[in-house]
Amino acid sequence: MVSFCSCSSRVPSRGAADFSMSALRSKVSLLTAVLLPVVGACATADPPRTGRVVSSAWARPADSGATSGAYLTIINADSSSVELVGASSAVALAAEVHETMTHEGMSHMMARTAVAIAPRDSLVMKSGGLHIMLLQLTRPLAVGDTIPLTLRFSAGDSVMVNVPVRDF
Amino acid sequence: MPPVSFVLPDSSSYALGPVPGRPLVVFFGYTHCPDVCPTTLADWKRVKAQLGRDAEQVRFVFVTVDPERDTPEVARRYARQYDSTFVGLSGDAPTTARIMEAYGVAAAREEGSAASGYLVSHSSQVFLVNGDGNLVALYPFGTRWEALAADLARLL
Repeated sequence: MVSFCSCSSRVPSRGAADFSMSALRSKVSLLTAVLLPVVGACATADPPRTGRVVSSAWARPADSGATSGAYLTIINADSSSVELVGASSAVALAAEVHETMTHEGMSHMMARTAVAIAPRDSLVMKSGGLHIMLLQLTRPLAVGDTIPLTLRFSAGDSVMVNVPVRDF
Repeated sequence: MPPVSFVLPDSSSYALGPVPGRPLVVFFGYTHCPDVCPTTLADWKRVKAQLGRDAEQVRFVFVTVDPERDTPEVARRYARQYDSTFVGLSGDAPTTARIMEAYGVAAAREEGSAASGYLVSHSSQVFLVNGDGNLVALYPFGTRWEALAADLARLL
């Protein structure tokens, strides 16, 4: 299984970053001088000091034109709270953050336009709870595919992750 | 549970009713559902794998509560996406109302966005019906799939 690790910068002009671990290692030395003050290292042994780290991302298979759901975990490494305020993907007309709630045998979903993540805390999306709804897919998603997904945060930063498609 | 007949995409009919020796596993949902419905059908895939060849006797059936968007072909493709033996059914409005009443299932449209159109709240239990047509178990959403697999193993 491919593992993913993504860091975000608080420098708006830098935009989204998406680093595999191997790619990161090769880039760190080049980027350190410029970005060390604002970007934490993206490695499990050395947690980032700022920004967001996304892990455990996956999406469900679906037909073109249909709806898929994606799940992931976001760590807010900042010392201040941040909100997840949006998502987008090149494979979907729209991506919306939703939360499933089940009460007395009925399940329903509610759109969440802002989901807070406390300082040094994480947001875990999972089946039956928070998820990202990928609407009107522009192509079929099959098991084994990888799709791009960008998450936007209230601090003005964004994180792009590559999300593997699998059954569960 | 009373039998209810559905028209399949090839215009043949499918009787959703008891068949001796063949348990029925039923779930009501809609294909635009990104979370609860796919979770349930993915769980069925695990159940089927766990049961091995015995699973050939089980009828896994997804019934849409959103027939306006889910045509018989869409429902069929949706179910088969998980396993080629899973059955996806979409009835006309009277058929959908009849099967939902028989199983005590509720559904309601809720406002969505421009992209989603509308969302559908719906009963999210899985029903297990034995070969005599009797409801023998009901699994609320979130029940581990192993429970259904164990009950089916006892029925088969």
